[in-house]
Amino acid sequence: MDGLARDLPAHCLAETLVLGCGNDLLGDDGFGPALVDRLLQEGLPGGVLALDTGMGVTRLLFDVALSPRRPRRLIVADAVRLGRTPGTVSLLPLDAIAEREVRAISAHQEPTSCLLKELGAVGGIEVWLLAVEPERMPEEVSPGLSPAVQAALPVAGAALRRLLAEEAAGAGSGRGMQAEGG
Amino acid sequence: MTRQIVIQPVTRIEGHAKVTIDLDEQGEVQDARMNTVELRGFEKFCVGRPAEELPRIVTSICGVCPWSHHLASSKTCDALFDAAPPPAGVKLRQLANAIAFTEEHILHFYFLAGADFVMGPDADYTMRNVIGIAKALPDVARRVVRCRALGARMLEVLSGKSIHPVASVPGGFSKPLTPAERDDLLKMGEEVLELAKFTIAYAKSDIFAKYLDVVKTLGVVKTGFLGTVTEDGTLDLYDGHLRMMQPDGSCEDFPYERYTDYIEEHIEPWTYMKFPYMKKAGRLSMDLDNPVGVYRTNTLARMNVCERIRTPLAQAEFEEFRRTFGRPVQLTLAYHWARLIELLYNAEYAMQLLSDPEITSKETRVACRPRAARAVGCVEAPRGTLIHEYETDQDGIVTYANLIVGTTHNNAAINMSVKRAALDNIHAGQHDPALLNMVEMAIRAYDPCLSCATHELDGRIPVEITIRAPGGETLAVVR
Repeated sequence: MDGLARDLPAHCLAETLVLGCGNDLLGDDGFGPALVDRLLQEGLPGGVLALDTGMGVTRLLFDVALSPRRPRRLIVADAVRLGRTPGTVSLLPLDAIAEREVRAISAHQEPTSCLLKELGAVGGIEVWLLAVEPERMPEEVSPGLSPAVQAALPVAGAALRRLLAEEAAGAGSGRGMQAEGG
Repeated sequence: MTRQIVIQPVTRIEGHAKVTIDLDEQGEVQDARMNTVELRGFEKFCVGRPAEELPRIVTSICGVCPWSHHLASSKTCDALFDAAPPPAGVKLRQLANAIAFTEEHILHFYFLAGADFVMGPDADYTMRNVIGIAKALPDVARRVVRCRALGARMLEVLSGKSIHPVASVPGGFSKPLTPAERDDLLKMGEEVLELAKFTIAYAKSDIFAKYLDVVKTLGVVKTGFLGTVTEDGTLDLYDGHLRMMQPDGSCEDFPYERYTDYIEEHIEPWTYMKFPYMKKAGRLSMDLDNPVGVYRTNTLARMNVCERIRTPLAQAEFEEFRRTFGRPVQLTLAYHWARLIELLYNAEYAMQLLSDPEITSKETRVACRPRAARAVGCVEAPRGTLIHEYETDQDGIVTYANLIVGTTHNNAAINMSVKRAALDNIHAGQHDPALLNMVEMAIRAYDPCLSCATHELDGRIPVEITIRAPGGETLAVVR
């Protein structure tokens, strides 16, 4: 283990970092944490770290931003309103997403969306958004995913694994995808 | 009113906020306020659940200070069940609290507020951020990331989890600390203490001295203060009495259970966030010249209300702070200085607790039995006094819950500081990003945590200023 590896947290050292964002008290906003839970149960390839960040994603991104070593690729899993059918899964590179939509990411932690752009543009990280179109984002505390978003969990997991497999096979992965949940 | 400036969302605070500045016909500031959206329904969600579940559930309110909610809820449950945790259980909670504080205060200084000072308040926005810090101070940045990782690892050793903690339970702490774990924590804690010592020395020599004029003028308002102290007035972040200080420095202590005798909540139509105020004042007025009932919490408040600090290095810093500014200190940017004294205190206190032989006792919890009761639990969270109140029926099922979070106490004062900063910096309709950042800096000093209060983002760039004519017509948008 080199000196940097001893100094830095795992989320700075992983080759690919998957962050499940959101609040599981607020309906479909719990998508990110639920997806990470599923991924961890199924197991992930080496070099891939998946974390349930809940509403604390910003602090992990700050660490990544300040760190002398950073993941090569960051995948943010979140429920984002992109105007599609509820349950639709989108896996897109951040630079392919319209400005307005980038700003809708990680609704709970406003600094996050601009930090993601900075990590991509200045930090040299390949940033991806793994988004689900929410059906139910309650105004008041009300846990539980909607059927559409629940059904999207395996779809999102499969999309992520395809991206990782393409990378492992050396294929280009800049296209992104969109799929209906369930 | 002819024009309106909107800053939305304010950047580099936890959560998001919108600032609205109304200008009069001459372009002078007529009014200024901060709007937030509050997470609603949590108290209702608690009702009907077994009280012992709440210390675990409340950590989902907020990813920013889960330990504070976890401990406040545990303490409330102790009182509900009439359970007195054994000394080791209390010390393990205090240790977790101290470590969590160091993480939070390091985060605020280096990640959220530091860029204003390291790069300068009028530096270009594209550099005035955390990546700018990484470039300006690469060695410090590496040390900060390492120490934050150490803090998280310490909390994991102590409790198994750092983000959604479950180790504190009604009646104590569920996981005793082994001597081997204690030894590991001592090594990690030593490194965090060294960073704390470096940070306050660096801030005093390179930042506070350089920006003393800004510290003495920006967003200054006159208010009372609220914080927690022990019987002899020692600063305590875990337990003690609440002390309410009037703007003239006179104080009154009261037990947590009587908070409703001292704190009343005011509602404004333009924000969901409530405005707690001193009940004895009879009303709340945020008039800058004649404020009534306004008090502040968080680091500056705690330095004002306490008489001493129990660790030697922090006590020395506290004495210098008081010699420099007097008592009570009303300078809003002095929150930063006070925060670093607390950082040092918590790093030292963690080492003190770890050096206490009792910390590895296996007696860390007592059995609890549900009953019908009302109880109030309180801790000092990094951002202010955190109050939980629950009522249960004879089966220990929650029938009522009320929470006042740290940032909410400061709501009135933050709004006053926003107005003060806007009045002092915006004239004849002239404004630019550097001037507007001064308004944001006044907010950031309070380290407001709005993330347990925010829900939906309506998708705007980090700072957007809209100037509107009386009919709503947009005259200019500044980004």
